[in-house]
Amino acid sequence: MRLVLSLALRDLMRDRLFLFCNVAVLAGVLVPLLVLLGVKNGVYHALIDELRNNPATLQIDTQGNADLTEADIAPLRDWPEIAFLTPRTRSQFDYVNVYAPDGTGASLREALLLPTGEGDPSLPAGLVLGAGEVALSPLLASQMKLAVGDRVELVTQAENRPRQLRLPVTVRHVLPETAASGRSVMAPFAVLDLVEAFYDSYALPEHGVSEGRPLSDRQPRFEGIRLYARTLQDLAPLQQRVEAALGLGTSARTREVMATLGLGRNLDLALGLTASLAVAGLAAALFFGFWSDVMRKRGTLAALSLLGLAPRMIAALPVLQALATAVLGLALSFTLYAGAAVLAGWLFAGSLPDGAPITRLGLGQAALIGAGVLSLVLVSVLAAARSALRIDPAQTLRGGM
Amino acid sequence: MTEMPPEPATLRISQLGARLSDGDRQFRLCVEGLDLRAGEVVAVTGASGSGKTLFLELLGLLRAPEAGADYHLTDPATDLGGLWRAGPRSARLAAIRGNLFGFVPQTGGLIAFLSVEGNIALTQRISHREDASHRARLMGRLGLSALRHLRPAALSIGQRQRVAIARALAHRPAFVIADEPTAALDPDAADAVMALLLETARDEGAGLILSSHDAQRLDRMDLPRLHFTSVTDTDGHVLSQAVLQ
Repeated sequence: MRLVLSLALRDLMRDRLFLFCNVAVLAGVLVPLLVLLGVKNGVYHALIDELRNNPATLQIDTQGNADLTEADIAPLRDWPEIAFLTPRTRSQFDYVNVYAPDGTGASLREALLLPTGEGDPSLPAGLVLGAGEVALSPLLASQMKLAVGDRVELVTQAENRPRQLRLPVTVRHVLPETAASGRSVMAPFAVLDLVEAFYDSYALPEHGVSEGRPLSDRQPRFEGIRLYARTLQDLAPLQQRVEAALGLGTSARTREVMATLGLGRNLDLALGLTASLAVAGLAAALFFGFWSDVMRKRGTLAALSLLGLAPRMIAALPVLQALATAVLGLALSFTLYAGAAVLAGWLFAGSLPDGAPITRLGLGQAALIGAGVLSLVLVSVLAAARSALRIDPAQTLRGGM
Repeated sequence: MTEMPPEPATLRISQLGARLSDGDRQFRLCVEGLDLRAGEVVAVTGASGSGKTLFLELLGLLRAPEAGADYHLTDPATDLGGLWRAGPRSARLAAIRGNLFGFVPQTGGLIAFLSVEGNIALTQRISHREDASHRARLMGRLGLSALRHLRPAALSIGQRQRVAIARALAHRPAFVIADEPTAALDPDAADAVMALLLETARDEGAGLILSSHDAQRLDRMDLPRLHFTSVTDTDGHVLSQAVLQ
């Protein structure tokens, strides 16, 4: 095989004009497709990443004032497409005062109290708030000049209660803008449940509220739930499933997500159609190119056969030359694509969110394209190899070269 | 008691034939019996169309003989005709053709992208008989040493034929088949190339089977001949038979 490889490459080098033509045909088809794919990836992934990076995109909230029990919610906790689920207490108790007696900023601010828990995508991955720990929105932290580790009190006052409920907590995390807007405090659901129990006139002696109904009589009921789909693709079917299971309306950014996902599918379709036509043309060009090359060189191939080179080695010659052509074509195509990507990045700098690159091509995609092109070239050269296999060595003897 | 020298490798032929058809007309070639020994020379002669090249194709394992033919090599004992049973694209057929024979086609049949030395080395590489010193000796013998790095396109026709002769002998084949090796040369060059071919083949101990229709040159060189004569029957069918002269 070393002899055949050496012969194939020497012939290719001698006939380099033909080699350049085939490499140019490959690059001429591949580079525009690579740029299209790169731009599609870049733009689409920037949009998708923007959605993925915003937990609110995956959020589903039940609408209205429902009256749910833990038994209503429990089955949903096992649904695999739900990344996180928390019940919501009654909305009139959602606001608390945040008091920072030792703070250097504003000492008191009203804030929205939101339930959270393990797996909440609004929190950084792996962060679990313990009892007595909260996460603050950036606006609240900024206005009150609070940082991680600061001690604050959540204070609420009910009209019919003789005193305030004061819950001392520690700031465990300050959320990014994408996770929380306005003034808000995220706390374990137990904190919100406690606030609701306070409003419902239950006695909370461990928090200094001794008057009221015994807490053991309380049957928790929830106004609704907040949950997060595991993926963007899960959002729409999950919303329907939740509505069907609970008999409630829900709100979510489904239309926006579906539109973006649909855009991706349509771009894939358009690119697939374009690529199919281009690849069909490329296959035809390669097929006739390789075949005519064997016809042109049949004298040489017949002479090699006359001298005793095995027929399968004769057939391997055009195949090896085709593979070498494909490797050169791929190398040139990816080099030109890289240049085009740099140019596009410079021309469209800053046009995508978070400075995302305008073109993007993963290693896996590049490897797949490479394998696809090599396969296409192999299929295209089969007829040429078959013709080479059938060349009659006697034509050299008869002077038919 | 004196020991007998070993019998040279011999191509033994009996009832070797082939049939060609062109519409209703048929051409049939038949060689009843012939032994060709390594080290001997035989010139294949006959009128145009008498089947000289067809015979060389049969001999050189380039065309399958008719059924009933017996064509074998004595040393090592090999049924050459039987090689075709594995099909025309059998690797063994190609390997034996490459090892047993050297070929000098009419127009040289050189590989355009290889140098003179690359062309000569080719038969050695194909038959796994690489021998640089033998190659150098042949090039020296045939006056090619100074041309070793040139490509065939840079050579005259006579030089190309000398390269073809060197290539045909480089892998030390038992037999060389040369089809009209001087047909494309002017008379002086033809004489020189023919003389070189005969001398080099003799020096290398190779049997030489060459076809030619240049009777005068063959007469001058006093070569034994295998002459083909054709007869046409009333149906227009042609039968060509060989006679050793």
